[in-house]
Amino acid sequence: MRALPLSGLAAVIVVATATANEPAFTKDQIAFYERDVKPLLKQHCLRCHGADEKKIKAELRLTSRATILKGGDSGPAVNLDKPEQSLLLLAITNKRTDGGDVMPPAGQLDDASIAILKRWVTDKLPVSEADLGAVAEHKSVITEEAKRYWAYQPVRKAAVPAGAANPIDAFLNVKLAEKKLTVMGRADKTTLVRRVYYDLIGLPPTPEQVDAFVKDTSPNAYGKLIDQLLVSPHYGEKWGRHWLDVVRYAETNGYERDGPKPLAWKYRDYVIRSFNADKPYDRFVREQIAGDEMPWSAEALTATGFYRLGLWDDEPADSVQALYDGYDDIVTVVAQGMLGMSLNCNRCHDHKRDPFPHSDYYRFLAFFRDIAPFSDTRSVSSANNIVDVTPPARKQVYEKDLEERQKEIASIKARMKPIEDAAIQKMSPKDQLAVQDGKRAQVIAKLPLVLEGTTRRKYNSMSRQLRELQTQPLPSQELAMGLNRCLPKPPPVYVMARGNPHAPKEEELCPPGFPAVLGVPDPKIVATAKSSGRRTALADWIASNDNPMTARVFVNRLWQHHFGTGLVGSPNDFGKLGDQPTHPALLDWLAADFMEHGWKIKRMHKLMMMSDAYQRSSTGDAANLKVDPTNSLLWRFSMRRLGAEEVRDSMLAVSGQLDLKQFGASVYPKIPEEVLHGQSQPGLGWLKRKGGGYDPARPDDGNRRTIYVHVKRSLQVPILATHDQADTDSSCPVRYTTTVPTQALGLINGEFAHDTATALAMRLSKDAGHDVTKQVTLAIRLTTGREPAAEEVASDTAFVTKLAREHKLDAATALQRYCLMLLNANEFVYLD
Amino acid sequence: MTSARQFCRRTRREFFFDAGAAFPALAATGMLAADKAFADNPMAAKKPMRPAKAKSVIFIFCYGGPSHIDTFDYKPYLVGKDNKMVPIKTFGRGGKKAEGRIVEPRWKFKQHGQSGAWVSELFPNVAKHVDDIAFIKSMYAESPIHGSALLMMNSGRLISGAPCIGSWVTYGLGSENQNLPGFVVMLDHTGGPISGPKNWSSGYMPAAYQGVILRATDRPIFDLAPPDGMTHAQQRAVLDRLKEKNEEHLRTRADNSELAARIASYELAYKMQSHAPEAVDFTKESKETLELYGMEGPTKKRTEEFGRKLLLARRLVERGVRFVQVYSGGAHNDENWDAHTDIKLNHEKHCGNTDKPIAALLTDLKRKGLLDDTIVVWGGEFGRQPTAEYATGTGRDHNAYGFTMWMAGGGIKGGQSVGATDEFGNNAITDRYHVKNLHATVLNQMGLDPNALTFFYGGLDQKLVGVEGAEPIKQVIS
Repeated sequence: MRALPLSGLAAVIVVATATANEPAFTKDQIAFYERDVKPLLKQHCLRCHGADEKKIKAELRLTSRATILKGGDSGPAVNLDKPEQSLLLLAITNKRTDGGDVMPPAGQLDDASIAILKRWVTDKLPVSEADLGAVAEHKSVITEEAKRYWAYQPVRKAAVPAGAANPIDAFLNVKLAEKKLTVMGRADKTTLVRRVYYDLIGLPPTPEQVDAFVKDTSPNAYGKLIDQLLVSPHYGEKWGRHWLDVVRYAETNGYERDGPKPLAWKYRDYVIRSFNADKPYDRFVREQIAGDEMPWSAEALTATGFYRLGLWDDEPADSVQALYDGYDDIVTVVAQGMLGMSLNCNRCHDHKRDPFPHSDYYRFLAFFRDIAPFSDTRSVSSANNIVDVTPPARKQVYEKDLEERQKEIASIKARMKPIEDAAIQKMSPKDQLAVQDGKRAQVIAKLPLVLEGTTRRKYNSMSRQLRELQTQPLPSQELAMGLNRCLPKPPPVYVMARGNPHAPKEEELCPPGFPAVLGVPDPKIVATAKSSGRRTALADWIASNDNPMTARVFVNRLWQHHFGTGLVGSPNDFGKLGDQPTHPALLDWLAADFMEHGWKIKRMHKLMMMSDAYQRSSTGDAANLKVDPTNSLLWRFSMRRLGAEEVRDSMLAVSGQLDLKQFGASVYPKIPEEVLHGQSQPGLGWLKRKGGGYDPARPDDGNRRTIYVHVKRSLQVPILATHDQADTDSSCPVRYTTTVPTQALGLINGEFAHDTATALAMRLSKDAGHDVTKQVTLAIRLTTGREPAAEEVASDTAFVTKLAREHKLDAATALQRYCLMLLNANEFVYLD
Repeated sequence: MTSARQFCRRTRREFFFDAGAAFPALAATGMLAADKAFADNPMAAKKPMRPAKAKSVIFIFCYGGPSHIDTFDYKPYLVGKDNKMVPIKTFGRGGKKAEGRIVEPRWKFKQHGQSGAWVSELFPNVAKHVDDIAFIKSMYAESPIHGSALLMMNSGRLISGAPCIGSWVTYGLGSENQNLPGFVVMLDHTGGPISGPKNWSSGYMPAAYQGVILRATDRPIFDLAPPDGMTHAQQRAVLDRLKEKNEEHLRTRADNSELAARIASYELAYKMQSHAPEAVDFTKESKETLELYGMEGPTKKRTEEFGRKLLLARRLVERGVRFVQVYSGGAHNDENWDAHTDIKLNHEKHCGNTDKPIAALLTDLKRKGLLDDTIVVWGGEFGRQPTAEYATGTGRDHNAYGFTMWMAGGGIKGGQSVGATDEFGNNAITDRYHVKNLHATVLNQMGLDPNALTFFYGGLDQKLVGVEGAEPIKQVIS
């Protein structure tokens, strides 16, 4: 066992050629090889192990003696010293113990063929001279050229080009001028206020809010608007959601039972509060990566819920595989989400395009190896994932409460014991024996069935009480989902051949380390009493001003959500498979500026939004469209469809139904029965009577902002699913925008759309009275923000009147149909 | 043309790397077209990568795990050995075991057709079609647990988050009928399979490629009809006004094709409202056909439910729907093929409910000339063990080490069995085929190269058959 050298040369393979040291084989031996062995190999093995370099499986080549001795992902194929233990022989006789495949896959060879190969191996692999072969040297993926790749260079703050007040415009204008693009003028104020509201808080401005901005003629009206929204409590609900996409936030575990993750919503609240508080991004990262190793704070502990968001299989077919799949999930999210590196690609081999050797993955994984799985049993409730976050000031109260509760538990147990003892006396000898064998608990479990009459009732009531006391948190105690159990001394991590966790390469031990291409020394790690300390070292590196990736990746995400596309169009991948930056100097300038100013996010929002580029109109221009049809140089503002949450929240908001209550346990809006029927137990985990939270008697409880809607991996609220809500199984860097007829069906026929239209119609009648012209005017204002032109009002009024007349509808119903139409309009779901 | 820049969680450049290298059919459509494919019409029909043998797939998914040794994998060795203890390595819900008590199959086997395929009494009607069927008796999978095994059979992976085979097929080929969804799923009346919608999810692909639940009733698609009180005439009036408004909005934004696509999607939705019920309208089917599928006649009580679904499946492929998945069995325990306690009771129920309709589907597709370009796949997420699960009774635990699936139509060479399990029927030993080989075979017949149909996500060219790839089962391809 040896630690890997820092250079990251994971697998330096010594060149082995036929030399004088090679044994000389007899003519007979060579004849045997040519006549008996070679045809066998050709027929059964070479299709995957030699004939075609593109189809090589498991890196094993059986084409020459040297490559056979070198072996593949599972190690040397032949052991000359102990031939009977050669993998090749074990594989063809179904005696492998390493979990690898039995060979050949098409079915076992006949005995004669097996005997030939046995003899050949035992004979020390005689071959003709031409087949002695050589092993190619393993080339490191970390070349000098790779080290010079832009993303791995330190962030440099270039001089801002002259000629613009906002540095962002200064950088953008250079390229716009180069391409002779004419920039669009400033968007009108109504467009702008709507854009800014959605962008910062994810909600449409009310007509009053639009008016307030439009009428404010002071020169800094726009800046004031931004400031005002940045301190809105709803800002975190919008921007927190962007982060939840990156960390694949969900509140259930997936798989067969898709059980709820206890208290997952506390992490969601933590994220919202962090954004609202303008927590510096480096601190935000630290808390999530190593909050449990920081000085005690409820907030930092809650942040470690980050590690508990992924899929977790309570019944894995292969528990070792499941453990490593769990680490893989974490490696992927941290590497892509915080560093823009697709380290997940080198789980099985060297990265194909980026300079990440196979070992980089396992060195990175080693940082997380102290994390205990979500649960050690099949139950979701586990001390592994629940952290006590009771404030220290309350600890005394809590301890007193705890003492009292324990007393209470003891007293109930004392009252139950005589009943149990009496019952056991009457049970079968087998059961009585079991009690003596220390299996009292199992025997007692049968009591509720064995007991009778009042004793039974009394006993059952006491046992219910007991269960409650044992499982309910104390009122003074506060819990959160997070890291509670970690290993101060984690087991060693090795490179796994071909990513197979059953095939550790014991010669390639991987201590925690950073991607080798960056040339950062291995961290000094100090274990804590409860954990390995490794994640603190990782957090120190990620949240560092010297890290070339962290700030670039995060400012790019901010840019992406303001401008529609990141300066790097692939926000989770800054490598060679990703997009190259459209404005590298600007990206660096922003990253440097972000760090210089203490990683403050709100300041960065304002900087971006104050640029001319952000305030441009979205109008097209024929000449520009020819040169830059995708607007990658930002000559205009890019229109966008509202996200799934914005669509639902806006529908609730304009119809006056939105409940703006913040935080707390998640809510469950109605999901139609037809959709629930797709579950193997319809309604499970959604309906209140089936372990969820939807209560048909209180349907309005679900009318909170979508970020507070329960995220169940195997069941989505239809309107969110059809509007491209983030997939919850892996990090979602960019939402899709898809347009399909089933989406239209949901909005024109669906229950939610119709209920919303009804509520909007009622609101119009209430706020605008019974005059259709006034109703129509208000409706357009609510759904678009703008003041409608007289002709539009006239034709919409005529439409409502005609609809009522021709279809014999009462005024309220006709208005409802009109409202439905407005909720379906492109103008309602697209933002200029 | 702007917000389409954020298509597909990846970038144009990636798309080209991907498209150029692996998906010439899309690359040919040009950069901007590719950019806009998802936002405009993700289901537009595309040319296959190479000449296709089949146009549609009907996947009859026997959820729960049908027992191969009681149906199609005849094991004379087991005859007369009921209750005999044998050393045999099994791995099921109950964990790994080294020995077990044989449960002798309760049904007699006979050879059928010219090919002489062995079929048990459980499938007397399917048995008449063995000359069109290729049995793959050496299937193996990676998990003996329903949740992950279902995901593997549907998406090729044990972990959720990857698109299902129906998503891959529609991503690769689109659909020929824009008035119906391209990938539809029909569930058992008792409920969905374990993990529900994860089994027809499009995973990391756009939601447009996820399966749409279809029911063999007059409202086959969720939200297909306006709610009570809203007539079609009213709806048309609303849609007309909506169109006017949207067109007015588009006038100053004409370069944004997403807006135009959204306008068009309402017209498509409107058409779907009449086309989908038409597909489910069986009134024009002859009495003979209804009897054939078991929707009428003496078995009606048992076979109507599944018969309706398979008749609908035929009508859908007739109308150009690309991928139809029909579940037999739902919910839990004996509501599906999961025969843990009593193989006789369980399999007589499920075979009895499905045998006649499945045979009818094959007959009907063939006589309508549809079988040539429709692949029919039959099977579950795994098979069952030759030994008993408990100390008493005839229940069998799950078995992913070896099981049978069959395929027919769409260029599949019928009248043969490929591969074999051991004498117990426990392990696939000859010509073993992984689930991925089955997937590769389906893609191959659809004119898609399983090793070149890729979707760039998470830094990888993802494939249905996994990064290592898999070959189609050459033995069954004619």
